[in-house]
Amino acid sequence: MDDSLEQPDAKPPAMAPDNNPPEDGEEASEDEGDVVLDWTKLLPSTARPVIPRRGEKEFEPQPGGGSGLQLHVLDRSRNAMFDALKATRTISSKAVSYAIWYPRLARAHATVSRGVIFSSIGHSVPRPVVTADGVEKTHKRLELLPEEALYLIERGSVFCWKETDLNLAGVDDLEEVLGSPMSAQQAFSEMIGTEDLTLERYQVYAYLKRLGYVVTRASPPNSLYPRAPPFDLSPLNQRTASVLGRIRTLFSSCFSRVIRLFTGGLNWWKPFRPSRWLIRDKNYSAVFRALRFIPAGHSVPLLPTTADSPVKQSPYRIFYNVYKPVTPFRKSEPGLPDYQIVVVNARTTPMPSLRELTDLFDISPEMPPPLPRQRRTPQGTPLPLKPQKTVPPPPPPVSFIHRILPWLRPPPPESTTASRRPHPFMAIKAGKKTVIVAVVDAGSTGFFRFGQGAFEEWALF
Amino acid sequence: MSNDPPIHLRVANKKAFVWDVEDIATLRSKHRICGVLTGTLPHLSQQNLFLGVPLVLLPEEVVLLVENEIAVLLDDPKAHIQPSVIELQKWRVKEKELQQLQLSKVTTALGTSPMMMSEEAIRKRKEREAKKKAAAAAAAAAQLEILLSVPSKDPASATSADTQVTVIIPASSRSFDWYNDSASIYRTIDSAKAAEIWEYPSTLHERAKCGVFRGLWEQGMYMGGGIKFGGDYLVYPGDPLRYHAHFSATVLESPTSSLTPMEIVAHGRLGTVTKKSHLLCGWDDTKKEASFLSIEWAGFG
Repeated sequence: MDDSLEQPDAKPPAMAPDNNPPEDGEEASEDEGDVVLDWTKLLPSTARPVIPRRGEKEFEPQPGGGSGLQLHVLDRSRNAMFDALKATRTISSKAVSYAIWYPRLARAHATVSRGVIFSSIGHSVPRPVVTADGVEKTHKRLELLPEEALYLIERGSVFCWKETDLNLAGVDDLEEVLGSPMSAQQAFSEMIGTEDLTLERYQVYAYLKRLGYVVTRASPPNSLYPRAPPFDLSPLNQRTASVLGRIRTLFSSCFSRVIRLFTGGLNWWKPFRPSRWLIRDKNYSAVFRALRFIPAGHSVPLLPTTADSPVKQSPYRIFYNVYKPVTPFRKSEPGLPDYQIVVVNARTTPMPSLRELTDLFDISPEMPPPLPRQRRTPQGTPLPLKPQKTVPPPPPPVSFIHRILPWLRPPPPESTTASRRPHPFMAIKAGKKTVIVAVVDAGSTGFFRFGQGAFEEWALF
Repeated sequence: MSNDPPIHLRVANKKAFVWDVEDIATLRSKHRICGVLTGTLPHLSQQNLFLGVPLVLLPEEVVLLVENEIAVLLDDPKAHIQPSVIELQKWRVKEKELQQLQLSKVTTALGTSPMMMSEEAIRKRKEREAKKKAAAAAAAAAQLEILLSVPSKDPASATSADTQVTVIIPASSRSFDWYNDSASIYRTIDSAKAAEIWEYPSTLHERAKCGVFRGLWEQGMYMGGGIKFGGDYLVYPGDPLRYHAHFSATVLESPTSSLTPMEIVAHGRLGTVTKKSHLLCGWDDTKKEASFLSIEWAGFG
């Protein structure tokens, strides 16, 4: 019965029914830096690849290089890893796409593009083409940036040729493509280093793409590259509502007062309350704001630099626009990006200076304060916002005028806003503006978020 | 060590890559050099936990390997020579033969796909098949006549098989005849620096990092990047595949360089939280020696 347990690689039977649930988020984030990888659970299965659960590690090898069991388990792990690494990039000839790499342009021309993956990769550029009868024409064609081409080769979706000037008329099937085949290794060696692409930037690109994000360049590498619309950089509280909306609120607030006369909403003891407009700025925060005489906040510009010349370009500049996988994305007309990412090399780049950060914040949009987190019971179900006892009163009989004119009234104060007011500490912590910096140290990538906290807007007294 | 042929580290953009799985295996099992896998694993391309070739080496690892004559540097862009027409023709012929072979294989061995599965999956499948067989045997006895009347043919797979072939996208360039592996090889760091394909170490800090790395490696440790733990390296007592790191190490440019108390507190605290001790590694550039000092949070009161 217990024969299997005597084998060195046996596991207790309780562990065996492994239904391979996807890695749950909590477990993954717990110890993210030192993820325990168990390659023995990863063997390529072309049918249904499953990300295995994490294995377990031991504290240290026994003296003298490890016990027999330890060495055996280590060998098994290593061999599983090497087997996984040996898997070849294979794709059916019906699903494969083809591209030609033009080193002089630093672009790959996708001659055959198949699959959904191309809905968010590549852009079309008109290029002059000489047709068979010697006439030069411009044709639009799908071109890939170096990182896009490299990623597609690496994931085994594209077979890439390299442009060659050889006369390939004699070689069957090759006269159409006019190129020599490229390996993934060659693509790594030759595509990185072109068009501002560094290995670090490529690693961040591939990391995000593997997670399903749509990634585009923030600064267009050529004039025809589709560029995202500019952000609305005005402060959130000054952002103007639509003209129609303002007219409507003005109109309806006057009108509702008249209506209230008839519908009984008027307080007969105070028929003429002073207008909101007169007492508007007479609360504590307004008074304190008026008393503040040292300039505060991020609208105050930094002192100009004295000695150091800003000739050298800062490594802190936004390189990628990132869209969440759920965002509807149109390649030709990208919308506002969900995130913007700066990529730096951890080994050569120091921490950003205040000026570098401020420059980045200045071109980032303002974000609304975070909503307070909904409290959750240990089971993970959100608590009801109100206690169960307070049964809502039955709705009063609705008069005709109520029914006909609801759109004229000002929108009722949302009942949830009181309980869902942003928490000041949360808002300060999150900041009004955010910059995401991807720091790459020889292959390991970390993402860091810098937030511009607005202390002056959340006065606490 | 020196009787083996040196491992070729393929350098491009001043980074060293290893593309051959055998070399990765040798580096790891024999020389305790792990590097960082950075490529997308084919067929598991939508995750970041398990990555594939190429293996990117830390610059310290490269310096150590070249100085110990375990590996040589190779200018990879220069090794990719433009193929001649004849070479391309040969390649094409080979490709066609491969495709023909595939087609003939597919038609003969249809249905038994040589899938690789984890051990548990294989065991489960066997159990399932055994059950199915038992059930089928029982059912077959009853329905033998019906089964015989149905033609045993799978038309869908038969028609698709003759047009569809598997395209292989090569990972390493070694399969190309025109890839010149022996050209532009550099056996020392200095010669590679002179050829401007490599530039590490160029400052005192980088020299200190190389020296400390060597010091730890010679004591039988495995090293990984420590950026996620606030240090320069993570130091493992055995292969990181199986063992936890014991230390996170920071490199100091000199054994007498000043440290603020805050740094000691921060490192000690961080090491304790992550169940490691922090290792302060001082490098003496004149004596070419590294010294190590570990801090632990005593946690009195």
